[in-house]
Amino acid sequence: MKRAAGLVITLIILLSQTSCFGLRQINELAIVTAVGLGLGDKPGTIKVSAQIIRPADARGQTGAPSGGTGQPIYSISAEGTSIFDAIRNLGRVSSRRVYWAHNFLIVMDEDYARKGIKDMVDFFTRNHELRMNTRVAVTPDLPDQVVSTITGLEVVPGEAVDRLFQNNHVVGRAPASDMMNLEEAFLSSSTEPVLARVQLKPRGISNKKPEEHGSLKQVELGGAAAFLGDKMVGWLSVKEARGLLFFLEKLGSGIEVVKCPNNDGVMSIEFKRARLKVTPSYANKEPKFGVRLTTEADIVESGCAIHLDEGIRQDAEEKLEQRLKSNIDSVIDKAQHRYHSDFLKLGDVFRNKYPEEWRVLKRDWNRTFSDAKIDVEVEATIKSGVLKSVGTEIR
Amino acid sequence: MSTAQEKLQEQLAASFTPQLADNAAVLDQILGKSADMQQRELKLCGSSEYPGVCCFVDGLADTSIIEAILKALIVFGSDLHRDPAAMPTAEEICTTLMVNASAKPCRQVRDGIAGIVSGDTLVLIQGLDEAILVSSKGWKDRSIEEPSSENNVRGPRDGFTESIRTNTAHVRRRIKDPLLRFDATVVGTRTQTDINIAYIQDLVKEGLVEEVKRRLKRIKIDAILESGYIEELIEDAPLSPFNTVQSTERPDKVASALLEGRVAIFIDNTPVVLIVPTFFWQFIQAPDDYYNRYWVGSFFRCVRYLALIISLVLPSIYVMLVSFHHEMIPTSLALTIASGREVVPFPVLLEAIMLEIAFELMREAGLRMPKPIGQAVSIVGSLIIGQAAVAAGLVSPFMVIVVAITEISSFAIPSYSSSLALRIFRFPLLIASGTFGLLGFATVFFALMLHALSIRSFGESYMAPASPFRPSDQRDMLLRMPIWMMNDRPEFAQDTKRMGEQQMPTQQTRKGG
Repeated sequence: MKRAAGLVITLIILLSQTSCFGLRQINELAIVTAVGLGLGDKPGTIKVSAQIIRPADARGQTGAPSGGTGQPIYSISAEGTSIFDAIRNLGRVSSRRVYWAHNFLIVMDEDYARKGIKDMVDFFTRNHELRMNTRVAVTPDLPDQVVSTITGLEVVPGEAVDRLFQNNHVVGRAPASDMMNLEEAFLSSSTEPVLARVQLKPRGISNKKPEEHGSLKQVELGGAAAFLGDKMVGWLSVKEARGLLFFLEKLGSGIEVVKCPNNDGVMSIEFKRARLKVTPSYANKEPKFGVRLTTEADIVESGCAIHLDEGIRQDAEEKLEQRLKSNIDSVIDKAQHRYHSDFLKLGDVFRNKYPEEWRVLKRDWNRTFSDAKIDVEVEATIKSGVLKSVGTEIR
Repeated sequence: MSTAQEKLQEQLAASFTPQLADNAAVLDQILGKSADMQQRELKLCGSSEYPGVCCFVDGLADTSIIEAILKALIVFGSDLHRDPAAMPTAEEICTTLMVNASAKPCRQVRDGIAGIVSGDTLVLIQGLDEAILVSSKGWKDRSIEEPSSENNVRGPRDGFTESIRTNTAHVRRRIKDPLLRFDATVVGTRTQTDINIAYIQDLVKEGLVEEVKRRLKRIKIDAILESGYIEELIEDAPLSPFNTVQSTERPDKVASALLEGRVAIFIDNTPVVLIVPTFFWQFIQAPDDYYNRYWVGSFFRCVRYLALIISLVLPSIYVMLVSFHHEMIPTSLALTIASGREVVPFPVLLEAIMLEIAFELMREAGLRMPKPIGQAVSIVGSLIIGQAAVAAGLVSPFMVIVVAITEISSFAIPSYSSSLALRIFRFPLLIASGTFGLLGFATVFFALMLHALSIRSFGESYMAPASPFRPSDQRDMLLRMPIWMMNDRPEFAQDTKRMGEQQMPTQQTRKGG
């Protein structure tokens, strides 16, 4: 009996010494679902804006009446000399403890990104409360605006943007960048980071005033921001972002619109099962890359009003190949000659095949990469016209 | 020992004398003038030289049997013109005159008194130095009903009653093996409760019967009113909330336990029979598992394992997640929980304990109330209070759901007594996880496991066959394998082979002849 009592007392003392005592009720937390980072008004300061959920309004009436304002989110911002300082300063405004574990999105200002994101990568990977699957994006707009905009179908705007990222392969116009692959690229010597671009665009139509078309701003995901080291060097357009996705995320399908061979109309071609293969080679102390994209495709919309015969098909195949090649060429061109930054992960491919040579080349890889010869080859095969092979025209 | 006791013991130790008056006086002194003591005077063979007296307890003895005794002694004796002098011993009277199924001579006063108070009739006759004890037990019994605490859909509907003989007969009817033994003993200095130890001689675990008898013999107590008394006095872990003795009201459960090589303890005046040794997992198993086909049996057994886990840990896990590990809840769910808790003024631990206690109150009230009112209590309690508490913002709807699911799960555990044990374990788990989070939960759960693993029940590990792992017993553990695969008894039985080879039904081939 004495021993049992001793054991219980020892256990209680041990438990209370672990300093794990962090009792916080879930309704006493300010759950952040999106955070914006920008430069503060004073030089050398950082502005952090947070999108915080108001649970009672985000979930309607569950249980007792709770007196909501009808707005699902509550957005606040604070400035500080470092990110953590700014976050602590949020506490001056927020009545509840700011809680980060459910954060969906980190949005950075373009100016902030151009100054360097080293602090941000460090903070968001060092803190135990933050998750590595948080989406990261750069915006040319003000991050506080992006964070405080009610966007998408989801009740929680941060979740809506997260869904945009999840479905990015449908549109294929922006990389699905999150903390995980940002840090991976950031720490790697063979690649450079690239982040998605989000932008506020007047795309929403108000139900109450439909005549004021596009009166509501919505967050649009498209394009990308290229980095060299920890600094942003420039934007990639949506077309270049598609080329980028073949390298980064093995983009398998998408839509390209090409001109008809016979008239001014256009036809839409959906490419499927696209596979990009990069073959590095090393000769005369110069790395060389062969990029080969093979894909199948279907004609999903035809405004050409003709039968899809063999000739038309070959013509469409050629045009699709040109289109895809120009996508890839344009992003390679940007990477090599404009930004001198290997965000296409070609360094990774090279290192895996030539680890010995890589040791020498890695010191000045971005310059070597800029001068490397890259051959792009695209092979497309149109398989079918889906349900129709005849053109649609009024007889 | 009081002087009254000493005197009583002295009187009990005496033998009967040939003088009827002396014997009657001794009985009167011992039994006093109890209202239910009846004495019927008689004359053996109608002869006034041989007066006698029949002693019995009114209500315990069957009057028709007493009439048969009187008829034999008075009428048959004189009809047959038997001379009482020709029957000088009690033995002689029993063998030549009595027609009762059980009648035997009795020399000691102690035996005679014991017979009277247990419903037998003691016949004293002038001139004999022995009395005759005739079995005449016959009192009003409850009829055989389905046990209300252990229901099943398929299977026998009979349950034990308060009469030990009826109960042993239930088992004897199921197992017509001549090696089925019922060893009798008596416990309780005042209640003199009959106890029978049932086992099958060539199956029972070696040494088990001796161990049970040893433990029963150790008991020195005035009264045994229910098998719970015995259970607490013979169990291996008297301080543990786990019950290491299985109790049941179902004869089929007892029969199956005996066939597994275990021992059943029947106690008079209670329908609850004890079975030892007991394993923790037995409380999850129901007779239905074996009576329905094995797919169904296995599935519902899995459901019950789930119920076991839920009833033990669900409130703790909810409290732990909501007050410590918010990052482990999916975001949408976290928001829903947070919105439900928005107006709740209490910390989640207090909320959980409040609701648990409210439920225990309702359960207890529903149990103690007269049956028709019990229903009203449960409706008022569960529906009205539950709804009103949520609407008033006292508790969150999530907590009501969690507690309700927990309670339903605890009712899905077939053994009521072991579900009570789990109910007790829930509170330390709840408090630990509400104050220390996952760490506290893990600590208490671990301590609980260590404790459960350390217990033994009559020489067998309580958590067997999971730990120690017994491969052949796994066929009836998580899943209930088909009957034709369970060809072994548990390992502790003396003879483990229980069926022939190849018992799986095979397709009959259509060959001529």
